[in-house]
Amino acid sequence: MAEQELVLKIKDLVVHYETDDADVHAVNGIDISIGKKRTLGLVGETGAGKTTTALSILNLVPNPPGVIKQGEIYLDGMNVLEMSSEELQKMRGNEVAMIFQDPMTALNPVMTVGDQIAESIELHQHISKKDAFEKAKEMLKMVGIAETRATDYPHQFSGGMKQRVVIAIALTCNPKLLIADEPTTALDVTIQAQVLELMKELISQKEMSMLLITHDLGVVAEVCEDVAVMYAGRIVEKGTADDVFNHMRHPYTEGLFESLPNLKERGEMLVPIQGLMPDPSELPPGCAFSPRCPYATEACSQQIPKLESVEGSETHFVACRAYEDPKFTLGRNRNGQ
Amino acid sequence: MANNTILEVQNLTKFFNTPGGQLHAVDGVSFTIERGKTLGIVGESGCGKSTTGRTILKLIEPTSGKVIFDGQDITGYTRKQMRPLRQEMQMVFQDPFSSLDPRQTVMQLISEPIIEHKLLKNKKDIEKRTLELMETVGLAERYINVYPHELDGGRRQRIGIARALAVQPKLIVCDEPVSALDVSIQAQILNLLKQLQQDMGLTYIFITHDLSVVKYFSDDIAVMYLGQMVEKAPSDLLFQNPVHPYTKALLSAIPLPVVGKEKPKRQLIRGEITSPVNLPDECRFRKRCECAQECCKNGNPHLREIEPSHFVACSCV
Repeated sequence: MAEQELVLKIKDLVVHYETDDADVHAVNGIDISIGKKRTLGLVGETGAGKTTTALSILNLVPNPPGVIKQGEIYLDGMNVLEMSSEELQKMRGNEVAMIFQDPMTALNPVMTVGDQIAESIELHQHISKKDAFEKAKEMLKMVGIAETRATDYPHQFSGGMKQRVVIAIALTCNPKLLIADEPTTALDVTIQAQVLELMKELISQKEMSMLLITHDLGVVAEVCEDVAVMYAGRIVEKGTADDVFNHMRHPYTEGLFESLPNLKERGEMLVPIQGLMPDPSELPPGCAFSPRCPYATEACSQQIPKLESVEGSETHFVACRAYEDPKFTLGRNRNGQ
Repeated sequence: MANNTILEVQNLTKFFNTPGGQLHAVDGVSFTIERGKTLGIVGESGCGKSTTGRTILKLIEPTSGKVIFDGQDITGYTRKQMRPLRQEMQMVFQDPFSSLDPRQTVMQLISEPIIEHKLLKNKKDIEKRTLELMETVGLAERYINVYPHELDGGRRQRIGIARALAVQPKLIVCDEPVSALDVSIQAQILNLLKQLQQDMGLTYIFITHDLSVVKYFSDDIAVMYLGQMVEKAPSDLLFQNPVHPYTKALLSAIPLPVVGKEKPKRQLIRGEITSPVNLPDECRFRKRCECAQECCKNGNPHLREIEPSHFVACSCV
C-alpha cells in the first residue's frame, strides 16, 4: 500500500517502563500500519503490550515511568513523537480518538452526558455552548440513545448505554482513526453484540480506520479486516483476518485457538499453552515464546526471529524460525488444511 | 428421591427489600443434580445466578423454597448445623485477587480449612496433606511459603481450588472461576477442574456468563433471566435446539472466532435487562422479545417439558 494512503504507521516502536526495581520491556520494536477505512485487530493476552502501544499513538504513555525509547509514529503523515504539547492536544480528539475498556470510569460522574459530549465539540470546533449541546443531542441519537436523556448523569445509565455515550464522545469530531481498547470486555454478551454492531455501522458510515485492541478472537473475527497477534511486546504474526484465522503460521496463534473452549466438542480436553507469559522485565533470550513453544529448538533461544513474509505473501507475515525448515507445518495445519 | 441425586432445589426464592420495593433476585428456581455431573447456570449480569449459588450453600438465607442436599433438607439448618456440611459443599470464587487473604502464605491458605475442620491434628500430617493438595492442583512445591500477591491469576485460582478440595467435598459451586483469566490460562484451569471431577467424582454447579465455557464443561445447562430459569436442557440439546427466544439470542450473540466461513445470522435483542424490582405479572422477557404476543402479558410462564428432559418457560412454544 502506498505510504500516503496510510492513516497510521508505527515504525520500530520500543517502550520501556523504568522503575527503581526493574526495567520493564513493554513494547520491543513493533511495526504496524493501518490503511484508510481499514480495521486492525491487535490481539494478545494480559501484559502483551497492547495498551502501551495504543497509548504511544496518542503520546499518552505515563512518563515517568514510561519512556518511548525509539521508533516513529506517523498519523496521517505527521510524526506524533515530535509534536509540541499544543499540537498533540489538537490532534487528540480531532485526528484520533480513543475508547477505553471501562465505561464506568471513563465518564465524569458530576456532569450530564449531554454536557460531556458538548464539551469535546466546543473544544475542537469552537462553536457556542448552545449549538454544541444541540449537536451533542444529535450524537446521542446517532448511538441509539433518546435525546431527552442528554440531561441525565452517567449513573443513570447502564454499562452498555455508558459505552454508547463514550463512543458518541469519541466520534464527535469525525476522527480519522479510532482506537478502541477492549471496548466491549466489560459488557454482557447481548449488549456486546449491540455495541459491536453499532461500532461497525458508524465506522463504515464515517469512513474511519480503527485499531481494535482485544483478547477475544471472536470479536476480532466479527469486526476486523486485518489482525496482528502480539506476544511479550512483539508482533509474532500479522495478516488479513483470513490469513491469520484460516492459514495461521505462528505456534502462539495456534495455541490461542487451541485454548478456546467454544469450538471443541464437550468431553474433549482443551490444549492449553504450557506455562506462563514471561516477566517483561526478564524476557528470555531469543524468541520470547520459545520456553512455552511445543516446536522450539535450540536455535529459537539464540536469536530473535524477524517478521518475514509467508511464502511471498504481501499481507501475511510471521516471526518464527521454525520456518527455516521448509517442511515445517503447525500441528493444526497438518491434517486437513 | 433417587439415590443418585446429590442436590435437589425446590422453588428457591430470594427477595431483597430495597427502598424501591422488593427485588426478586431468585424467583422460584427448581432443579436437581446427579452425583458426578455438572450443571451450568448461565445468564447475564443481574440474572440471579450468583445469588442462586450462594443460597444453595446457605451463605445467603433463602426467602422460601427448599434445598435438599444428599437426602437432608438443609433449608432450616442453623449455622451450627451447617458446619459439618461445609466439608461436603464448597465454593470457588471468581476473583482470585480478592478472595485470598493477602497476609497468609500458600501453606497457611491451603491448610486453613484442614485445621478449621479438625481433619488432621499433627503438624507434619497437615504439611504433608498441603503438599499433596498443591500437587493435585498443579502448584510447584517451591511456592509453599509465597504470598498470593507474588503469584499470577492462574496460580491464585489454583490455590482457591486447593482450598475447596482440602475438605474433600462432594459438591463444588464454581462462580465464574475462569472469567478473570487469560484464555491460555483459562484452558489450564478448565482442564484441571475436569480432571479433578473424573478423579474424585465431584459434582459441580458451574456459574458463568460465558456460553462457550459452559458448553465445554456442563452436562446440563440452565439459562436464567431476571431471577428465573427460562430454559433447561442437556448441554448438546440446548445448543442444537434452543427454544426460548432469550436462549436463542444469547447463543447468537457469542462472537465466533471464524473468518470467511458461513456463520449463522445474528439475532440482536432490543433494549437491556429490566429492573428486578416490583415485577409485573407477565413474561419477564416480553418487552425485549421478538415474538411476543398478547398471551405473554397474561402471567409469568412456568417451565414445561417440551421434549424429554428439555424444559422451557415460554407461552409461545
